[in-house]
Amino acid sequence: MIQLLILLQQHASGADSLSSSSFAHKWHGAQSVQNGGPFISMMASHNLIFIVLGASLIIWFVLLFFVIRTDRKITKLEERVNQNSKDSNS
Amino acid sequence: MKAWKYIVAFWLTGVIIASFLIPVPNIAILKQSSRNLLLHVPMWFTMAVCFFTGFIYSIKYLSDGKIDTDRKAAMITQVGLVFGVCGLLTGSLWARFTWGTWWTFSEPKMNLAALGMTIYVAYFVLRMAFDNPEKRAKISAVFNVFAATTVPFLFYIIPRQLPSLHPGANGNPAFSQMTAPQLRYVFYPAVIGFIALAFWLNDIGLRYKRIKHKIERSA
Repeated sequence: MIQLLILLQQHASGADSLSSSSFAHKWHGAQSVQNGGPFISMMASHNLIFIVLGASLIIWFVLLFFVIRTDRKITKLEERVNQNSKDSNS
Repeated sequence: MKAWKYIVAFWLTGVIIASFLIPVPNIAILKQSSRNLLLHVPMWFTMAVCFFTGFIYSIKYLSDGKIDTDRKAAMITQVGLVFGVCGLLTGSLWARFTWGTWWTFSEPKMNLAALGMTIYVAYFVLRMAFDNPEKRAKISAVFNVFAATTVPFLFYIIPRQLPSLHPGANGNPAFSQMTAPQLRYVFYPAVIGFIALAFWLNDIGLRYKRIKHKIERSA
């Protein structure tokens, strides 16, 4: 299956997969990065490494948000359970 | 939430940004993937610290017999196993693009690391086999002491004596001679950050288990 996909890729793009001429160097529908202001042109520099950094940070922040939320929920649960056990003792 | 957790979150964010942006020397084969040093290696350091902490708690359980000590040993070991799995997966991905294969049975470090992980999987299988918490705690503590003694051999001593592509084989130093000095400025903070993250996750899991125990006991 994977071999088939690779074959298809090579066939479609002529052996040298991604750098071949069947991929245009520029997508004509897109705004060029020169018109995009300082943030866009910074993100587009250095072979797009900032895009990978951005994706990784998005994942990290989402996971972090989830962990922090779980931590807070457990804190609330602890408070509730301790309150209950205090009530039942008195 | 306690303040140190926010520091860990902030710290690791810095580590992730730095691991992408720090300039690395262009080494043949490795290329940009040398940045993986900052992510793959701390996983194993963190796993080792977690397993060692679990080992200490298991010994402590055998002397004090408190069920909470057993709970601590199990939880930190569980977190260690998660980091170990991350280490195996990141190593496998890295190997595909530097050694040319996802997995090879001629690579001792890979296989012995996987073997070491299965010993710890057995720890959790063993725990599930008991209904009596006292019995479970005692037998799994003894098992964990034996499991932990295999860690230095399986992950460190034996792989270093065997021929291997992995850095640090054939008795060669791994980190000290082949690492670009600027990577160290991120590497050590990354190790500290991931270990701190492990203790955060451990804290959450432990509190969850304690609350669960309390509710079950009162019900």
